[in-house]
Amino acid sequence: MELVPISIAAISALLSVVATYLAVRSRDMMSAVVFSAIQSTAYALIYYVLMAPDIVLVYVPVSVGILPAVTILLIKKTERYEK
Amino acid sequence: MNFREVVIAVSIALMVLLLAYVIEAGGLGPIAPQRLRELAASYLLNTYNPWNIIQSAQSLEAVTAIVWDYRGIDTFFETSVLFISIVGVSLLFRGYREKAGISNRGLSEIVKTSTKILSPLILISGLSIAIHGHLTPGGGFQGGSFIAVLLVLLSVVFSLDFVVERGLSTSRLLVLRSLGLLGVLATSVALLVVGLLTGVNAYIFQNMVREGASLSMPPWFLDRPTGGTLLFFNVFEALAVAAGLSLAFIVLSLRREEVEEALEKGEWYE
Repeated sequence: MELVPISIAAISALLSVVATYLAVRSRDMMSAVVFSAIQSTAYALIYYVLMAPDIVLVYVPVSVGILPAVTILLIKKTERYEK
Repeated sequence: MNFREVVIAVSIALMVLLLAYVIEAGGLGPIAPQRLRELAASYLLNTYNPWNIIQSAQSLEAVTAIVWDYRGIDTFFETSVLFISIVGVSLLFRGYREKAGISNRGLSEIVKTSTKILSPLILISGLSIAIHGHLTPGGGFQGGSFIAVLLVLLSVVFSLDFVVERGLSTSRLLVLRSLGLLGVLATSVALLVVGLLTGVNAYIFQNMVREGASLSMPPWFLDRPTGGTLLFFNVFEALAVAAGLSLAFIVLSLRREEVEEALEKGEWYE
């Protein structure tokens, strides 16, 4: 029984590492925003498994809703592709 | 309604049911840990303890009790930090005023229809998280950011004019934000003011009866526990956070025509 939450946390952590790497490497800022949202989703799952549902409830709307919205506004006003 | 729609609806309902079953059966792990540290044990013992009200917050949710009762002043200053950042945004964009009729007509009909289905769900879950903050995980900030996400979604999908036409212009959002913070302030000093008027000893951020202070917020509403001040704190915080975050988003999404007007007015301010 103890193995299931730990393995879920491990898989989410691996996913978040891959998503972070892709977000840093990506030349297209829009896909970087999407990758960072995926990383945040994996983190939210880790928080849930570690029994912090309060943090999950604040992490999901802020990091998947508000932060990408503000970042996309910023990208729209500057440049989309990194040189 | 044809066969295809019925199949889609039934499969969505089945998916929700099965996910709920998996979570309920403990598929994502045990609900509560077995071993506790001493500090956690004392908080868990005292958070809802009708036999020892002097140390209790009369709230069923330990995190909200710690956030708004035992460590209330910390949270008050956190709320103030968010308020100051909103004040900074509106000072930076002073002279900003949203213009009608320059935004496009929003996204496609498919996105609009799915948003119409989704938005009442987001609103209700945000309100429920905020109002039940002292009973279930969540609280004012969580519920408020859910509602702010809803307003951001509406202003993106249906265009900004849609949100402004329904009475949520930036000036009114600023008023709502200030009302929320004033409500938090009023709740935190409510018992102190009553104590001063009646000549009884009372504290700032007092919730239940404390040693040497016999005043108390109502711990029950009909047959439901309210957690005393916690319910009011959560509701006002949700109002403040929802208005503040959506205000910041609307102001940051300023368009070219609005920049020109804001620049003219900004020079006038100087």
